[in-house]
Amino acid sequence: MKFTGNRVIILGGSCDLAITLSGFMIEAGLFPILTYRNEKGREYILKNMESFPKKYSSFYLELGNRDSIDSMLQQTGDEIDFMVDFAQGNFESLIASADSESIYSYFAENISFRTEVLKKVARIMMKKKRGRLIFISSSAATRPNPGQGFYAAAKLASEAIYKNLGLELGGHGITTVTLRPGYIDSGRGRKFIQTHGKEVINKVPIKRAITKKEVAEAILFYLSDSAAGFNANEILMDGGLTAGK
Amino acid sequence: MDILENITEILAEILDIEKHNITPETYLIRELGAESIDLLELAVAINSRFNIDVNDDEIFLRKLRQYATEAKQQNNAVLQYLVEKLSFLSSKRLEEIIADLEGGLTLKVKDLISYIEWKKS
Repeated sequence: MKFTGNRVIILGGSCDLAITLSGFMIEAGLFPILTYRNEKGREYILKNMESFPKKYSSFYLELGNRDSIDSMLQQTGDEIDFMVDFAQGNFESLIASADSESIYSYFAENISFRTEVLKKVARIMMKKKRGRLIFISSSAATRPNPGQGFYAAAKLASEAIYKNLGLELGGHGITTVTLRPGYIDSGRGRKFIQTHGKEVINKVPIKRAITKKEVAEAILFYLSDSAAGFNANEILMDGGLTAGK
Repeated sequence: MDILENITEILAEILDIEKHNITPETYLIRELGAESIDLLELAVAINSRFNIDVNDDEIFLRKLRQYATEAKQQNNAVLQYLVEKLSFLSSKRLEEIIADLEGGLTLKVKDLISYIEWKKS
């Protein structure tokens, strides 16, 4: 695959998918810049990326901590070609029983903060007149289970922000894609599948979860020059989960 | 190259117009037809060329009418209120702007220059 650009900011860089993706990126000649929100995340990245010394970097970026945006961007400088956004806080609660303070802070962290990051990264990309941003959403954005209302709302709102960015700046070489994976055998998805067993997988027409490798390779494709025609849209990668009843 | 020359070069490129059409007295929106996406591009170019943080609302006087309304609601003198809110513009220029409000969007090239000088000082 060919890529126009080299440096990729990966928000939420300490998740399993981001680590897997980074390995593929390095193999493809890209330079991942992984963000972490705490010491645990920084150590996780260090441990899991130890076979790629000097082929990646990592910076602190905490959802809701606005100073951390400027601090990160000062360190990365204007050399940003791509961004992949896995960042997402966890807040599972029935709507009617949710803590009121948490409602406000969750949306501030997962929508407003993300938008500020996007605004600043987009302005950096505008200087080069090119950039590609991929938001990792979820099939739960449109098919949430009870308790996932806040997660779904934040994902859908963020999808809308990414879509509009692609609409507004597509003519300036900056494009966006949202990927909506279904059940993934990784992170929260793996835990969910382990808890709910075969009943979950049987709902998926391909009768299995999506693998980390498949998601990573799909993201790499959407960053590549071959996918330049995709902009301001949502791509489903759920094994057919949301196609039927 | 001074600030005006830099701004002229940036505007000519973004709006695809001849440099001689641009003077300090030129209205960006009223005369040159700059649209919101052009202003965004202009803000990014100014940030890059002059190495200053640009607040789009400030440099493009986006809150001008809101400030004028606030001043009237609070029974304040509009000029004095604008001097406080848009401190990068001179009183003389703000008087011009107040007199010109009925004519439409008042942003001129010289306002960009004032903003850049203020940010660099």
